[in-house]
Amino acid sequence: MRRYVMLLGLLLVFPLTASGDYREEFEQGFLTKTWSGQQPEENFCIECHSSDKMKPEFLTLAEEWKASWHAQNGIACHDCHGGDPKDSSMSMSPHRGFVGKPSPAEVPEFCGKCHIGILKNYLESGNGKALRSTGKGPHCEVCHGSHNVQRANIDIINEQRCTKCHSYERAKVMKQALFLVEKKAGEIEDGIKALRRAGVYPEEQERSLFNTQAEFRTLFHTVDVNLVNERTDEFTRKLGAIEKDIQGTFIELRSQKNFSAFLMALFSIMGGVLFLIIRTPDK
Amino acid sequence: MRRRTFLQSLLAVFGTVSAASFAYPLLRFLAPPADADRDKKFTLAKKDIPIGTSRVVLVNDKPVIVIYEKGKGYIALSSVCTHLGCLVGYEAAKNILVCPCHGGTYDLEGNVLSGPPPRPLSKVPLKVENEQLVIG
Amino acid sequence: MNGVTKRIRNWLEVRVGLDELLRSNLTDYRVPSNINLFHTLGAVAVVGYLIQVITGICLLIYYIPHADHAFRSVQEIMTRVPYGWLFRQMHVVGSNLLIAAVFVHMVTIFLMGNYKRPRELTWISGGLLMVITLCFGFSGYLLPWTQLSYWATTVATSIPTAFPVVGDFVSRLLRGGSSVTGITLTRFFAVHVSLLPPLFVFLMVVHIALIRRIGLSATPFGRSDEEKRPLTEFRKKLHPDGYPYYPYLLQKQALMGILYFVVMFLVISFAPTFFFPEEATVPADAFKTPESIRPEWYFLAPYQMLKIIPNKFLGISLQIILLAVFIFWPFLDTHKEKNIFKRPVLRGVFIVVMIAMVILMWWGRR
Repeated sequence: MRRYVMLLGLLLVFPLTASGDYREEFEQGFLTKTWSGQQPEENFCIECHSSDKMKPEFLTLAEEWKASWHAQNGIACHDCHGGDPKDSSMSMSPHRGFVGKPSPAEVPEFCGKCHIGILKNYLESGNGKALRSTGKGPHCEVCHGSHNVQRANIDIINEQRCTKCHSYERAKVMKQALFLVEKKAGEIEDGIKALRRAGVYPEEQERSLFNTQAEFRTLFHTVDVNLVNERTDEFTRKLGAIEKDIQGTFIELRSQKNFSAFLMALFSIMGGVLFLIIRTPDK
Repeated sequence: MRRRTFLQSLLAVFGTVSAASFAYPLLRFLAPPADADRDKKFTLAKKDIPIGTSRVVLVNDKPVIVIYEKGKGYIALSSVCTHLGCLVGYEAAKNILVCPCHGGTYDLEGNVLSGPPPRPLSKVPLKVENEQLVIG
Repeated sequence: MNGVTKRIRNWLEVRVGLDELLRSNLTDYRVPSNINLFHTLGAVAVVGYLIQVITGICLLIYYIPHADHAFRSVQEIMTRVPYGWLFRQMHVVGSNLLIAAVFVHMVTIFLMGNYKRPRELTWISGGLLMVITLCFGFSGYLLPWTQLSYWATTVATSIPTAFPVVGDFVSRLLRGGSSVTGITLTRFFAVHVSLLPPLFVFLMVVHIALIRRIGLSATPFGRSDEEKRPLTEFRKKLHPDGYPYYPYLLQKQALMGILYFVVMFLVISFAPTFFFPEEATVPADAFKTPESIRPEWYFLAPYQMLKIIPNKFLGISLQIILLAVFIFWPFLDTHKEKNIFKRPVLRGVFIVVMIAMVILMWWGRR
């Protein structure tokens, strides 16, 4: 008997003595094998742009992209630049639709492949017309950056940036016009985060917020203050509806808590009564 | 002995209450969902949609795009893009629906032609009654 | 008693012998007078299983076992269906509490030495019940089709691949393909709702029948007569000077069952997201591995053990050996002494195992 017990003890103590880079090794073994769902995709864009042969100014692009909003949403090099990331010899071939660095005048169409609503409004705006007629003027990248593009934010409009070309006054008026709606959108976003923490998947609210905000920001790219002011009410109302929806969900969560607490109280009382019955001598 | 009887009836009362507290949720759980207000139809005059144009209307609080296309006649589709929920628009020249946010395109059946949308647009029933279109 | 109940009783009495049935199972069934609260844990587990069965059937009504709909249908249960949240929460919180209760049940049985002869079969059926309970937990985990469940299942179903020759096949069999897909989901669903339940009921009937047939063990600690006598013939353990099962033990069992409900609703009311980390509210995405993948708490210790053993084949073999040791423990520990206080080595091993498990769980948590 003693033998078995000793053996068992040994078996259990043994793993505790092992150490080292177990985690990495484990994940290599169990997570990155081909059958683990995600196929580790070969991407020659990133491979070359991270290699020693690359010119220093191109070397940081991949890292910049990895930190971007695009990367977080699964938008990779070829989604904008075309080409073929899986074929090293053809990866930068124009035959596969590769476009390297677009000239300033080409930038709006380059980004507008996906952001088509914004492209349309931008081209009609003063900024867009200036770019088109003179070849100079603020295009997407001037405000939003390129590879490390981040989520759009109202503070992209700032004195330092706008005064590169013109005075800040009109931009300031624009920012003020945007402020109300953007602030409310920010509040709703916080509400959605809180819902997530409360274990709810706020898909519908998230979509409504996204499309309302996207529509508003598309509109803003006309840089037409009157148009923005005109429609602020409409957007505030739409956002108000989402806010109400979120509040409704929280009220629902609270009533769930109350009902469950009621059941808990009920069972506590029953337990107490039963305990007293057990303690009461029979006769 | 009387104390015991009292406690026992107390337990019975609370037992009944808690049984009811499960029975009620269970009944509500099993009850068919109320769908009275989901069946509301939306009527639209034919003359409001000239040929080759579209209109977005709200049917039961959901945006629906109604298109009058030369070959296919009247078509009604949910106008909520299945990608991130922006509202799609009708592009008469190419006879497709385009989402302004990330450029997803659909054909007039609602099928995805290109871009990021994961699913086709859902179809909305539409009937032509005299000079009226009944949607929903 | 009024006339109707009396007539119903009489109707049953002449047909099935109701009085004798109740008497032999409730009042004439005597339990040892030194029985303690730990003897109620089996009954608590039965209460827990009943809750799982009833709430599980409720969830089945609205759940859709398809990769495109599973996540959405669970969300609908949580937000749209009236009181769907209640049944889902009871099912989820219940599964965790149940495993905890079963675990404590086994530990106390172990400490009281009640697995010893003639109760080896009771222990083995109990051990198998525990394995099936864990299988329930494992298969049910995937069904909501969240990031958490998807990736935890991806990792778990890849573990068999550490075995040479058959490993890949077993893994493919579990997944129904080379990766976790909708096929895996329907497989796990079938296992969860139609393969495991009958197996489970069968083993539970065996387990309880054995307890009734052999009789409850008299002494929680120390030798008792049945261990002293040579085991040459079957003798049911009766307790003529013990207390009647009803009301003595049944009341205690009911009290503990109520306590189980109280703890369950305590968690649901005040920590509703306790078993729902953030990844559990995000739909499964085969192209995005979450930062941290970790199994349910009851698999943390074996999971961590697997992680720290450099050779995976060794790690898995070791776990299978441990499982076998656990299930066949009554045949390994044939010492007649039941009192663990007189068994310093066994006591030491027990403490080491418990501490090792806690350390592994805590370690695997991060």
